Amino acid sequence: MTSPAQMAGYASDGLGYKTFPPDAVVIPADADDLARVIAVLKGVPICLRGAGTSLSGGPVAAQGGVVIHTSRLRAIRKICPEGLWCEVECGVNLNRLDQALAPYGLCYPPDPSSGPVCTIGGNVASNAGGAHCFRYGVTGNYVLGVEVVLLDGSVHRFGGPAGGRGRWQEDWKRLMIGSEGTLGAFTRFWLRLTPRAEKAWTFRATYADLASTERAIHGLVRHPAFPVAIELMDPRAVALVESSSMAMGLPKDHFMIVTEIDGPAALVDRRVESVAEVLRSAGSKDVQFGDSPEARKNLFQARKAMGGLLGQISPDYLVQDAVIPKRALAELLQLIYDEADQAGFPAVTVMHAGDGNLHPNFLFDSSKPEELEKVEGISKRLMERVVAVGGTLSGEHGIGNDKSEYMGMVFGPDSLRLQLAIPQIFNPRHVFNPLKVFPERRFAA
Amino acid sequence: MKALMEERLFEPFIDATDGVLCLPSGSDAAEIEREAALHGLRFPLVVDESARLCDQVAASPFAPASSRFGPYCDNITGMNWELPDGRRVRVGERVVKSTTGYDLLRFLLGTTGRYGGPVDYVLRLRPACDVVQTFFLRGDLSPLRMAAAEILQTSWIHWFDSMDFLAAQGCGPLLRIAVNCPPGEGDAYMDFLSKMADKHRLSLDHSPGLPLDGCPDLVIKTSPALVLDTALRLAEHPGTKCVALCCCGVVHLFLADPGPEAILLLARPLEKELYAIGGDWSSRHVRTNAPASPEADWILTLRKEWGLP
Repeated sequence: MTSPAQMAGYASDGLGYKTFPPDAVVIPADADDLARVIAVLKGVPICLRGAGTSLSGGPVAAQGGVVIHTSRLRAIRKICPEGLWCEVECGVNLNRLDQALAPYGLCYPPDPSSGPVCTIGGNVASNAGGAHCFRYGVTGNYVLGVEVVLLDGSVHRFGGPAGGRGRWQEDWKRLMIGSEGTLGAFTRFWLRLTPRAEKAWTFRATYADLASTERAIHGLVRHPAFPVAIELMDPRAVALVESSSMAMGLPKDHFMIVTEIDGPAALVDRRVESVAEVLRSAGSKDVQFGDSPEARKNLFQARKAMGGLLGQISPDYLVQDAVIPKRALAELLQLIYDEADQAGFPAVTVMHAGDGNLHPNFLFDSSKPEELEKVEGISKRLMERVVAVGGTLSGEHGIGNDKSEYMGMVFGPDSLRLQLAIPQIFNPRHVFNPLKVFPERRFAA
Repeated sequence: MKALMEERLFEPFIDATDGVLCLPSGSDAAEIEREAALHGLRFPLVVDESARLCDQVAASPFAPASSRFGPYCDNITGMNWELPDGRRVRVGERVVKSTTGYDLLRFLLGTTGRYGGPVDYVLRLRPACDVVQTFFLRGDLSPLRMAAAEILQTSWIHWFDSMDFLAAQGCGPLLRIAVNCPPGEGDAYMDFLSKMADKHRLSLDHSPGLPLDGCPDLVIKTSPALVLDTALRLAEHPGTKCVALCCCGVVHLFLADPGPEAILLLARPLEKELYAIGGDWSSRHVRTNAPASPEADWILTLRKEWGLP
């Protein structure tokens, strides 16, 4: 495709306010086709793209060139229940994989909120996480092997169903996972599976102040029930939901925690009261919990509603993805409030609280140039503070071109040299996804 | 972009709220336990009470408790790393989740000295529970295999620290299941395992404590579906004890004579089938060969870019 109308949907990712129109879009029929396309494309940047749900400016043609859309590589090639693995092509949708695994009593745990749309390829490229990765882990914990097309069109497998190195001396798949399309083009994966939990309980509690909320979080992370998810919404996020058609009667000025436990019924059923007691003893007067699918969905609903609501009420929003030491939560929330209030932007914050993965959302209008400048200034100051307190820039969204300018905050001179060496191995001219992860990665024809 | 600061090396610390502990990579199990237990926490991936942690990590990427918590690389969140020329760099983070840059942490943790070695680790700790028990299912091979396969498909597998199949010449095979749970839950584990024993006509007994096998001499990485067969084949060799980490698809071998020749005799015949499924073998007693093309070029580029001789 080369006409602007056909390519309009490829100019941006989930950060819709930054657009990078490609010169052409190619949709290969299969992996062989994809390898041939890469081998013949000379002298232009190449950007691999799955569903384009990235929130970091990842799968966009930042320096122009060709976007390769992997939507036709969508076969679930094999499910091996006894080996606890499956083989999938890169364009397989996450929720579709989950549906395919359900009859076997198995699951693939990473669950980014874009599950209905996103692809496994994008998940592996950004090492996606989700609400339930506090106990289950992120995408990288489940990738046993990757098949990659390198710049010269050669195809290599790193790992496989067994999840080791294969014939290689080094475990190259470790560098491929989370590499954000900068090293090669993924075609398929071997993924580790795990038995589905027999039973789950969902809990919801609200708190009048942050100190009580933190007590609950700290109690949950050390509880022997090992919650699978500990989700936090700040009062501004709760108020946003309560002011919408999704309102469910939560106090608008309270923090809200949603947590889940799962496992064999014989274990989880006897843990219910002790988890509820952690939530109550921290200061909540409205702890609710349930184990029926309907009750659990209802208890999680406010948290799930957030993404859609943001898109409805604001022309644009910038979401950050910092991971912080949990002791720094109060300081960083205050910084978010001070900055947003001073700039006149609404800001709502949600957090995968078990991991310390903080998602402040700043609502603004990118058609007003001064607002974009302001919000990017806030973002930079927030990240400086995150790094200063011992945190990091991204927990599950990746760096893309949204946070690449901040990498100098994280890496000292020698560590930066180590990092920049990786693309020199596989993609020295930065043909694949230039200007992503590190701003030095500029394509030179 | 210019780096704005000097290397942000980790200093020793413990953060009980985040469950992370930074200490020298040469620390042993007692030193780790001393720091963690003060806060009701533990580092579960210990295989040897006296060995340095860096030697345990070098001996195998997995420990029995990797069944529940994943390999070492999922439980070490950061490290100070010394390059062969003496430069020290920080790799990874003190927080438990990061997608900031290329994953050098996991890459380097899997290497064997070519790019230097660890100086300090940041370990992810877990809540320590009062009941620490190891259960043993014993009986004929066929029902043991069936029991192992069945347990692997239940959500109980998430709650056992480990489920290992032990095989050696002269000893009957057995399934070893380790549990670390609160006092009020011990009977639930016992009920489940008793039912499993009855169903498959196996005997069940238990003892306090978690298994400590020591550092393996040879490690085979295969798939959970093939791990028992692999262990049984290898256990036919005299002087070989095999511990198959069922959930991880890993066989740890302990040899009476762990010389390089004995290890190559065991490992080489398996290479073809292992490589076909993305498996591998490694041994702390055997030096790796020179890499082949194109990997040799990749390694050369990496060393050159890192300024290594």
